Amino acid sequence: MKAKAIIPVLLMMLFCTGCWSSREINTLAITICLGIDKTDEGYLITKQVLNPTALAMQKGSDEDPVVLFVQKGENLFSALRKIATESSRKMYNSHVRVVVLGENLAREGIKDILDFFMREHEFRTDFYYVIAKGTTANEVLGILTPLESVPGVKLYLSLENSERYWGITSAINSIFLVQSILADGINPVLPGIEIISKAGYSEMENSNDAKRLQYTGMGVFQEDKLIGWLSEDEAKGYHYIIGDVGNYVEQVYYNGKDQIVCEVRDSQSKMIASCKDDKPSVCVKIKTSLNIAAVEGVLDITKQENRKILKELLEKRIKLLCEKVQKKAQQELHSDIFGFGEAIHRREPKLWKKLKDSWDTEYVKLPVHYDITVEIKQAGQISKPMFLKEGED
Amino acid sequence: MGILRRVFRRKNKKQIPRTDGFLYRDLLKNITNIKADFEQNDDLIVNSFKWSDNQDTICASLYIKTLVNTETINSLSEEISILKMKENKSRQALPLDVLRAHFSGVRTLKEGDRYIDLYADLLSGNTVFLLHGSSQYLSIPTESTEGRSVEEPSSQTVIRGPKEGFTENINQNIMLVRKRIKSNALSLESLSLGNLTRTDVGLMYIKNIAKDSMVREIQGRIKRIETDSILEGAYIEEWIKDDRYSIFPTFLSSEKPDSVAAALLEGKVAIFTDGTPYVLTAPALMVEFFHSSEDYYHHYIIATMMRILRFFAFFLTLLIPSFYIAIATFHQEILPTPLLISIAAQREGVPFPTFLEALIMENTFEILREAGIRMPRAIGPAISIVGALVLGQAAVDAGIISNVIVIIVSITAISSFAIPNYEMSNAVRTTRFAFMVLAGVTGLYGVFIGIIILTLHLCKLKSIGVPYLTPIAPWIKDGNVDTFFRFPFWAMKNRPFGLHGDDKRRIGGEYPVRKNKKGNQEFR
Repeated sequence: MKAKAIIPVLLMMLFCTGCWSSREINTLAITICLGIDKTDEGYLITKQVLNPTALAMQKGSDEDPVVLFVQKGENLFSALRKIATESSRKMYNSHVRVVVLGENLAREGIKDILDFFMREHEFRTDFYYVIAKGTTANEVLGILTPLESVPGVKLYLSLENSERYWGITSAINSIFLVQSILADGINPVLPGIEIISKAGYSEMENSNDAKRLQYTGMGVFQEDKLIGWLSEDEAKGYHYIIGDVGNYVEQVYYNGKDQIVCEVRDSQSKMIASCKDDKPSVCVKIKTSLNIAAVEGVLDITKQENRKILKELLEKRIKLLCEKVQKKAQQELHSDIFGFGEAIHRREPKLWKKLKDSWDTEYVKLPVHYDITVEIKQAGQISKPMFLKEGED
Repeated sequence: MGILRRVFRRKNKKQIPRTDGFLYRDLLKNITNIKADFEQNDDLIVNSFKWSDNQDTICASLYIKTLVNTETINSLSEEISILKMKENKSRQALPLDVLRAHFSGVRTLKEGDRYIDLYADLLSGNTVFLLHGSSQYLSIPTESTEGRSVEEPSSQTVIRGPKEGFTENINQNIMLVRKRIKSNALSLESLSLGNLTRTDVGLMYIKNIAKDSMVREIQGRIKRIETDSILEGAYIEEWIKDDRYSIFPTFLSSEKPDSVAAALLEGKVAIFTDGTPYVLTAPALMVEFFHSSEDYYHHYIIATMMRILRFFAFFLTLLIPSFYIAIATFHQEILPTPLLISIAAQREGVPFPTFLEALIMENTFEILREAGIRMPRAIGPAISIVGALVLGQAAVDAGIISNVIVIIVSITAISSFAIPNYEMSNAVRTTRFAFMVLAGVTGLYGVFIGIIILTLHLCKLKSIGVPYLTPIAPWIKDGNVDTFFRFPFWAMKNRPFGLHGDDKRRIGGEYPVRKNKKGNQEFR
């Protein structure tokens, strides 16, 4: 009897939930990449949508793997919805991998669009933001990429790769971006992407394909507005300071001619804020371990004294990178991208209360010290340079 | 159900023999009665003969031609003629006594005075002797034992371990188990079930190892069965199941004497049915349907791995199609992007909704499987070619079915065969369709509702009063040495599952390899 009473209750429960509309995959237009530009009337949306027909063919097809939808609107939502007027399929946004922001938009501020991405349920929060450096998002999305047939996936993967192996970009998702805009004492950075055309490529492909996308440096924000760019070296320095370093390549010159190339294995940093007479200062402790990747020249790295020299050279090199970016951020851009303010907040909460309101001016004259230790771990598979004769030095 | 039972009972009454009483002293009257009862049976042979040349004592021997072994009959008639010759000289004793004295020494002899018993004996292949002037009969077993010889089981093949399988002969089956457990504690109770079929049923258990109350319960249930026919163990199973509506098997059927012997040693009761090579063991637990006798013949680590693999296959075959339907139609966002891209590329141009597509393909597979079983052996390969090439490859090439669904169906199919027990595999395969419908209607939400309902159902199920999920739920402390893991024999101290009677311990001593000071003994 009891069981019979439970059955209708269970059945009723089945229909009491939300969000269970079914959609077949082949009725969806899967958006991989979204570009947003600022226009006079509002926003210009560029949507890169998968073209499954082209992807389904085993061999090459003449159709492009992605289709672009471009629409204007006064706000993001209406612009996105308006695409329905030209698409046969329902726009599906959960698989957006990368959002490309036009430089114009970034300079005017990105707060308003972030609100939309955080609020709308269909967007996940694990996609990355990228700024189209010196161009519009629309142009960036119009370029087809080699190896990956879907450009959006290429943007996503090469962003992760260039963060890990070259160190000039950071992959930043919605949550991280919003956090660093909201937090006091830290300002966000976003990677920049450029359209390049190199002479070497056009030999093998037609001229249209000679355009490639490449990540270059990072955009520095003051609150939510783009204010300037870091060059490659500066971006590297930035990563050393915040301690988020992948397998970078680092090279130093010995005696001005022997080039020694190293691969960074691991690098950690600690920001230690201190306070003397109400004057804050920050000491950045960086601990890096490297492997030697190549020795171009005759420096015998098996010798202890040579290693010591090499160590000092590397320490100097890293310090130089750090100081360069620190100076640029302080004096030129006036933006605390490293989170020095946060470090002071954590260490000296009382001092921070006083500094908080005037941080923008205090930051510019904040003294920063470096304490860099480099450890050379392995010399690779061979020890001495192969062409070093015995007795020579 | 009540109506059904009533119908059966009424039918049974009609079939009961006319002469339900005792034998008469008059031989002729008896024979006429018997002949009348066996009116349309041309294979009933009645031979009457004079016991001795001088006396008027008439005897009759009756048997059913098709049931008896001709050689036994021949030797019996020889023996009787010798006896008769002796009798001609002495002329003292009554012929029935002479027969009794002679045969009780060498043969199983039965006596009786009722028609109904006489018919039962006659129909099980005995030769019945009747004597004028006596209301007793004597019966001597002469039944033909012809049938299949012991062969390798067809449904439970193993790589390592005994390859004997049960046959259709109950005595031979009992012999095969007795051969493995040479103990006087092994008990056998014989019953005969079915008002018409009079099927021999044997109830086997080991005293003290099997719980007494459990044996009584099974016995009681079997005795209460009132039906006209028992042709296979499944009849008994269906009659005495705890939850008669459940799709899950609660009796383990086995074709292998070694598995039955192992079950008996765990404290189970085996039900032998004449005429089938499958022996039921009860109570059966859910986990046991994923065990194979081979688990105990291989290294315990390998056996454990195989078991875990089988449980994994169980979940695959149950849930893979429904998960695919749910994810592909409701929850595309939980797929990794590259996977979504390839699924989207494959589904492009497929005219059916995913649910329908899955249903079509799963049904196609079920049809193929069913056809493959019933097909004559020679046509079997043709079916698989048609199935694999025409339905699989061609349907995909034509763009009617996506590649993914073919992969899903194949995984499901292969996994369903990894479940060692055929009945369990059937139950899971059927349940799968319910899950697919739930997934098609409400997505993963429905699938999980289904999983909850299934779990509740399995928790509720009982096999002869023992919860189906024992020893996991209820948790039995020492019972889990032989469920998902197969512990080594020296670690299985007690009988598993906690179903045993008084005799709890399985092993007595220590690990027999003794270590000296230096470690293990070395010989070189």
